[in-house]
Amino acid sequence: MSNPLPRITLDQWDRRYAELRDAGLREPFYGGPLRRHVEEGDRRLLKLRMDGSAAALRLWNFLLTEEDRLHRARAEGKKIVGAMKDLGTVPVMAFSLPDVVAFYPDGAWWTPCMMESGDGLLRIADGLGIDESFCPVRAMLGAFVNRAHFPIPGLLTCSVGATCDDLSAIAQRLEDLAGPILWWEMPHRRRAEPGEDAVLLPGGFTAPAGQVALVRSELGRVREALEAYAAEPLSDERLAAGIRRANRVRRLLAELRRLAFTADRCPVPALEMLIAEMLAIHFCSDRQESAEVLQELLGEVKRRVEAGAGVLPADAVRVFWVNPVADLRVMNLLEDVGGRVCGTEYMFCHALDPIPEDLPPMEALARIALADPMVGSPADRAERICADARRFGAQAVVISRIPGASHCALEGAVIKEIVAERIGLCVVEVEVPPITDAIEPTLRTRLEALVESVSQ
Amino acid sequence: MICAGIDAGSRTIKVVLLEAESLEVLAAGAMDQGVEQEALALELLERLLKGGGIERARVRAIVATGYGRKLIRVADAMITEITCQAWGVHHRVPGAQTIIEIGGQDSKLLRLSADGSVADFAMNDRCAAGTGRFLEVLAARLGVRLARLGDMAGQSRKPAIISSMCIVFAETEIIGLLASGTLPEDIVAGVQASIATRVAAMAGRNLSSPVVFTGGVAMVPGMDAALEAALGKPVTVAPQPQLTGALGAAILAARRLKGLKTPAL
Repeated sequence: MSNPLPRITLDQWDRRYAELRDAGLREPFYGGPLRRHVEEGDRRLLKLRMDGSAAALRLWNFLLTEEDRLHRARAEGKKIVGAMKDLGTVPVMAFSLPDVVAFYPDGAWWTPCMMESGDGLLRIADGLGIDESFCPVRAMLGAFVNRAHFPIPGLLTCSVGATCDDLSAIAQRLEDLAGPILWWEMPHRRRAEPGEDAVLLPGGFTAPAGQVALVRSELGRVREALEAYAAEPLSDERLAAGIRRANRVRRLLAELRRLAFTADRCPVPALEMLIAEMLAIHFCSDRQESAEVLQELLGEVKRRVEAGAGVLPADAVRVFWVNPVADLRVMNLLEDVGGRVCGTEYMFCHALDPIPEDLPPMEALARIALADPMVGSPADRAERICADARRFGAQAVVISRIPGASHCALEGAVIKEIVAERIGLCVVEVEVPPITDAIEPTLRTRLEALVESVSQ
Repeated sequence: MICAGIDAGSRTIKVVLLEAESLEVLAAGAMDQGVEQEALALELLERLLKGGGIERARVRAIVATGYGRKLIRVADAMITEITCQAWGVHHRVPGAQTIIEIGGQDSKLLRLSADGSVADFAMNDRCAAGTGRFLEVLAARLGVRLARLGDMAGQSRKPAIISSMCIVFAETEIIGLLASGTLPEDIVAGVQASIATRVAAMAGRNLSSPVVFTGGVAMVPGMDAALEAALGKPVTVAPQPQLTGALGAAILAARRLKGLKTPAL
């Protein structure tokens, strides 16, 4: 068996980039050396170890040029929709219209990490009374105020109700800064009671038909708002075509996840997988290119799996990871201490499930929206985690908490208890702030101990 | 052959010397932690060797554990304190199902499998309110030695209620309680109950007995009683509780010498 392919630092990427260019690398328009992103402020790259493939280069460049893409879209006269909180549904609708681009302003929560707080976004949020007791999504407020990261969307939507309290509070503060928001209601998903019709949702959850109808109706309001903003009808035909294109991205991710999580040798680092999975919800503001980026990454992973090549030692402990991390460096840390990610639940597993194509589009979108793990009980979420952890052969589970994110307060404890009871895996909770440098030793100890517990 | 376990904790360094075959403890000791952790650990190691009349060359394997384990470069392997505590306590109390370890800066709860391996664990996050640091702050505020706290708590008739989740604010509460005439004995009992409650909350439900209490705080009189009250279960204090981490490290060093599997990185 060959030695693991190295995960490389930014300095090593400088040399690697030159090698790839010399070998005839062809890049899309947003391509280039990763070093330029550091020069533009993304200093966290200096602390990361990344996959050294051309496919990974394209993925990173695609991620780190989203702002440029949005500004270019504005310059080209395209309509820009800012979708907040719903995680994967409104962008499918928006991208179904011609010349409409959607993105998640709340995605700015990673900016303080990538720029190592050099962006000042959190300071602006502090000044607005949204301090560190709130979720790091508060960085979004700073981005709206300083206008240095994305153009101000012409239409803002936000799901509320059975969603994160913090995000709702932050978005309410935003309404004073950025103009009206289309709020749409998401009920707390429950199981049908006797006498109610139950609807099976993608991913396996169920909900009463009445709740599905409510979400369909709410999404109907979003549809009308999109039509009015784009001055174009959002017909069922357009929606159906949009769903098919979104499903292409989801199918690519499903295959990528299957290979990455089940291969004997880990074929792609956790960091790149995290970024790739995120494309399912936001497409990085370009749905078509998302698919192309994923296609290339999938090709690279397939080649490695067929060759028996991996980026980590063969005996790396298989860890199922719950919740995204505020500091990307922690994904490196798990691998540094002998783990590999084998299964994830980054709060949006519903966005990885195919949207039903055999249903009327609005019904299909309502069902997928209601399948969001964050709008049901933590016990439901834990059930799915158990099922996926079994499917991918995980040996341990990490639950990563986000400081200030209220939806994580007790959820981690519930998930931990259920996972430990049902599948008997060692579960550890860790808290990951946007910059972990000061707590790296304690984080390392927890992750090392987890790996040791499995290896003993 | 002799093995050494070095536990470079946040407040103290502990060393245990072990005969590799019999697992007999030949010498053990502790000293305050400092900046030059490896130098301090080696100083303690040399002192123990000299005291026991043991030649340095007879020490064939060293495992380091604890917060500062990465700084003990002389070690052959580094293993987390979670794994080492499990091995050390299981060696001392073979039937242990649950370990509560409260050290100077953190607290841990370990659930063990029947063979003594770690089935699950949890550690405190962020605040020192559930750790020995809280007792140090209390002792300093009251102007008494740590060793006296147990006696004081035993004299309490009405333990004070410490409501703050944060050690900094809890200290403010202590000042307020003293100003309002609350007896120091009641404050000590209140703080011990507060630490125990925080650890019990980390334990959650389904705690299996026997529960073994270890770590430096287990040496503070009265803390075991406070834990028993908070958990609603009997608690056994591990023999030489401050040393169980270093003992586990030494046992794992012995296993490495014998070519047995260890989780060392």
